[in-house]
Amino acid sequence: MSMNKNSSEMDTGRRHFLAAMGGVGMLIGFSGTAYAIRDDKVYIKSSGGALVVDLKKCMGCGTCMTTCSLVHHGKASLSLSCIQIEQDVFKPFPQDIQMSTCLQCHDAPCVTACPVNANKASEDFDFVRDIDPDKCIGCMQCIEACPHTPSRVQWNPTTRCAQKCDLCLNTPYMEEQGGIGGVQACRRVCPVGAIAFITELPEQSLPQNYVVNLRNENWAKSGKTIED
Amino acid sequence: MKKLKGYAGKILHIDLNNMTHHVLPTEDYYEWGGGHGFGAKLFWDLCEDIEAVIDGRDPRNVITIAGSPFSGTNVPSAGGRCEVTNVSVGLIPRNRFTRSNFGGHFSSMMKHAGWDAITITGKAPYPVYIDVRNHHVMIRDASHLWGKDTHETQQFIQENVAKIDVAAGWNAQLDGNDIGRTTQKASVLAIGPAGENQAALGCLIHGAGNAAGQGGNGAVFGSKNLKAISFIGTGSVDIADPAALVKARFKTREFYAVDVDKSTNFTYNGLSAGPAAITFSQMPTEHRASSCHGCVNGCKQRNAIGYGNEVTCQTSVWYLGAVRSYKFGGDAKLSLHNRSIDLTADSLYAGDLANRLGINTYAIMALIPWMQKLHAKGKLGVGKKIDSNLPYEILGSREFADKFCHAIATGTDIGAHFLDGVVPGVQALGHGADVDNGTLDYPYYGMPEHGYDTRAELEWGYATLMTDRDMNDHALNWIYWTVNLAKLSGIDLPIPAKEMATCFVEKMAPYIKPDEVSAMDYASHNMYSEVLARQVQWVNHYGRFWKNSALMCDFRWPDCVNLQREDLRGATGNDEVGEHVWWNAVTGEDISYVDGIERGRRILNLDNAIWVLEGRHRDDAKFADYIYDKKLTYSKLPTFLWPATNEAGEWDYRDMLGRSHCREGVETWKSHYYRAEGWDPDTGWPTRALLESMNMKEVADRLEQVGKLGKEG
Repeated sequence: MSMNKNSSEMDTGRRHFLAAMGGVGMLIGFSGTAYAIRDDKVYIKSSGGALVVDLKKCMGCGTCMTTCSLVHHGKASLSLSCIQIEQDVFKPFPQDIQMSTCLQCHDAPCVTACPVNANKASEDFDFVRDIDPDKCIGCMQCIEACPHTPSRVQWNPTTRCAQKCDLCLNTPYMEEQGGIGGVQACRRVCPVGAIAFITELPEQSLPQNYVVNLRNENWAKSGKTIED
Repeated sequence: MKKLKGYAGKILHIDLNNMTHHVLPTEDYYEWGGGHGFGAKLFWDLCEDIEAVIDGRDPRNVITIAGSPFSGTNVPSAGGRCEVTNVSVGLIPRNRFTRSNFGGHFSSMMKHAGWDAITITGKAPYPVYIDVRNHHVMIRDASHLWGKDTHETQQFIQENVAKIDVAAGWNAQLDGNDIGRTTQKASVLAIGPAGENQAALGCLIHGAGNAAGQGGNGAVFGSKNLKAISFIGTGSVDIADPAALVKARFKTREFYAVDVDKSTNFTYNGLSAGPAAITFSQMPTEHRASSCHGCVNGCKQRNAIGYGNEVTCQTSVWYLGAVRSYKFGGDAKLSLHNRSIDLTADSLYAGDLANRLGINTYAIMALIPWMQKLHAKGKLGVGKKIDSNLPYEILGSREFADKFCHAIATGTDIGAHFLDGVVPGVQALGHGADVDNGTLDYPYYGMPEHGYDTRAELEWGYATLMTDRDMNDHALNWIYWTVNLAKLSGIDLPIPAKEMATCFVEKMAPYIKPDEVSAMDYASHNMYSEVLARQVQWVNHYGRFWKNSALMCDFRWPDCVNLQREDLRGATGNDEVGEHVWWNAVTGEDISYVDGIERGRRILNLDNAIWVLEGRHRDDAKFADYIYDKKLTYSKLPTFLWPATNEAGEWDYRDMLGRSHCREGVETWKSHYYRAEGWDPDTGWPTRALLESMNMKEVADRLEQVGKLGKEG
């Protein structure tokens, strides 16, 4: 797993084509989101990092979920967590657990769906796809636009805003600095190290590209598989 | 008291006589903490006639399933535990107010739905289940669920609850005036056929294998025509100091919990134990360790073989001896000397079977070798003195497990004899002597031995005698597993016995001074000492609050010895990651570690008052005859090593096999304990002065009405 950061030059040729040049004037008019122009096309710059998960390592404790909601909102909640761990305890391993994190999509449908640019990819924060609650008008279009199940963009019924994983950029209840280069609370708190942070995003056409094997020989000593 | 964080603020009272529900303000119960404290006080308040309820199946029984401020949070190994309290079924010499506890995600979902506890009175006129979706409470017809096993029941309810899809993968639930969303399934607690038939061996099951059964909880549900309780919530738990909570959790992860990618430290319980399935057999590698909500490292498992998910600990071994006997000969008594993958699948199968039917496997485990012996002697079988159609010649097979569990759950064949409990059933069959002589190891109150015979592990039996049930408190039991498994595995445990004892004693405030190392001396010459009475006080009081009420997991707390730490000192009592740190961060109170233990003392005293009303007397507190009359010769591990001194005062790990209790000694120890608690040594009853010193005048008045206050001084 590479820990090297993306450069903006690496953006060209990736699947984050956004719009033909015809739309540039309108897009450039929005503040916040960083775009790149290549070959008469406009791209959202790739996020400087994302989370990946090991579905065979997770033990379903949900600590990542309540810690996520704690550092962001000061409350322990499953519904307000940006990482969603779904379990069916009656299914056989490994189908019993699904871990769903925001993929920080290259083409960022949630960003492009936002009519007020509350959902953005700011250069100031290494292009992490992030929602500004002060700007969000609660139209839910970003939630609908997310191509994944479950939607990686959540509805916060208290603030009546959408929210999504910001890699812990905005965490008033965590002492450490979050975001790219900082701490991601879910990763740090996971008892078994089933969540990792990467800086070179994989091909995103398939969410399973964000499922990785984080088990080493020491894990094998506990009698559990380290096979993919 | 100021409004505290961490609580949902509401307790749900279900009145099944009238098929109604009511909201009780949690604020009225703050002083009892949560969990067991809530259950005891709710029982005191809501049970119409405590003295008259002599069987848990009485409709006047009050059963409470309670969470705590920690439920639904990331407090390590505390977010998913849940306490059950009710009058028991099937205990001797009489039933009593008792407790059980289970894990998983039930209490966390209950909290996220906006409830701290649910308490149930009365009896429904027909089978029902309780369906709670955030604030919306429904008592629903369960006729179509009656007869289904615990897994089918949960899956049916979960399917029914998750109907409204509002976004990809997100379901909607009404939440006040808004619509909350969740990706989660409802958390359901259910009974199977055993509970429906009101069998004393029936238990409650949540998830695939989280069980509460020691006390006949399943029978209590069945007697109330209550099939299941379901919660789905989209809310949150308000935390007083979220940053402090997160900081402490990070510290625990980094400095007290095992790093699974690096460490190979050997330990069994505690925070430093690894994420390992406790199945006592060799799991196929295709499995995961699974855990309760918020656990620092899971102890359950889910596997690829298609059955046996979450079969853990006791449930994984109740049939293990039988499987070994069937495949390799010998008797069916449990032995963990050798582990073999050949036994795993059948053991998981049997555990799964019991979970589906909702059977308390502790109660049935000892029956297996007993039935094997009776059959071999020609006393049990078709047309025999004990007539039974079960295929005893294939005891240990899956087919036998199927038929035996079905009989127990339905109260048919051999199961008909045990509907009111194992010991009463054995006595009715004319085999009471088998309990007296230890052929059936039910050492106290008609409850099965937990695996830690009190002739060796003194505190287990003592604490049980002074409370209500097989105590199931592993506070000190860490030593048994860590030391004896290390011995069995040939691992050189780098902790001398005296240092081990010192580490534990240092955590035993306020009852033991740090230099009173003899509180952990299990030598025969120290068996009945006064200091051991104070040690058991600590076990009981610590347990009643931090474990049974705050609901910190018995497998992870207290953390007295931690092998991740160079100084070996665990998190318990620590001012950065100890119990009170979590309590204060979540609730906003400012209490100490010892304050919590003091709250546990008060809760235990309310328990004792209830037991006294139920008829309890000092004379009840005794072991079965074999504990006094026979020497301990059996251990499921080859050794039973504990820290102890010799006559010269030299510490070492010494084998406790080969000794028995003496009646006079136990009575001496009991007197020490009663005096330490401030209970009348003649009766075991509390005094008015004691109760009033704990702000329980109302309780003292009630005991005085029935002439059961202890004598002062």
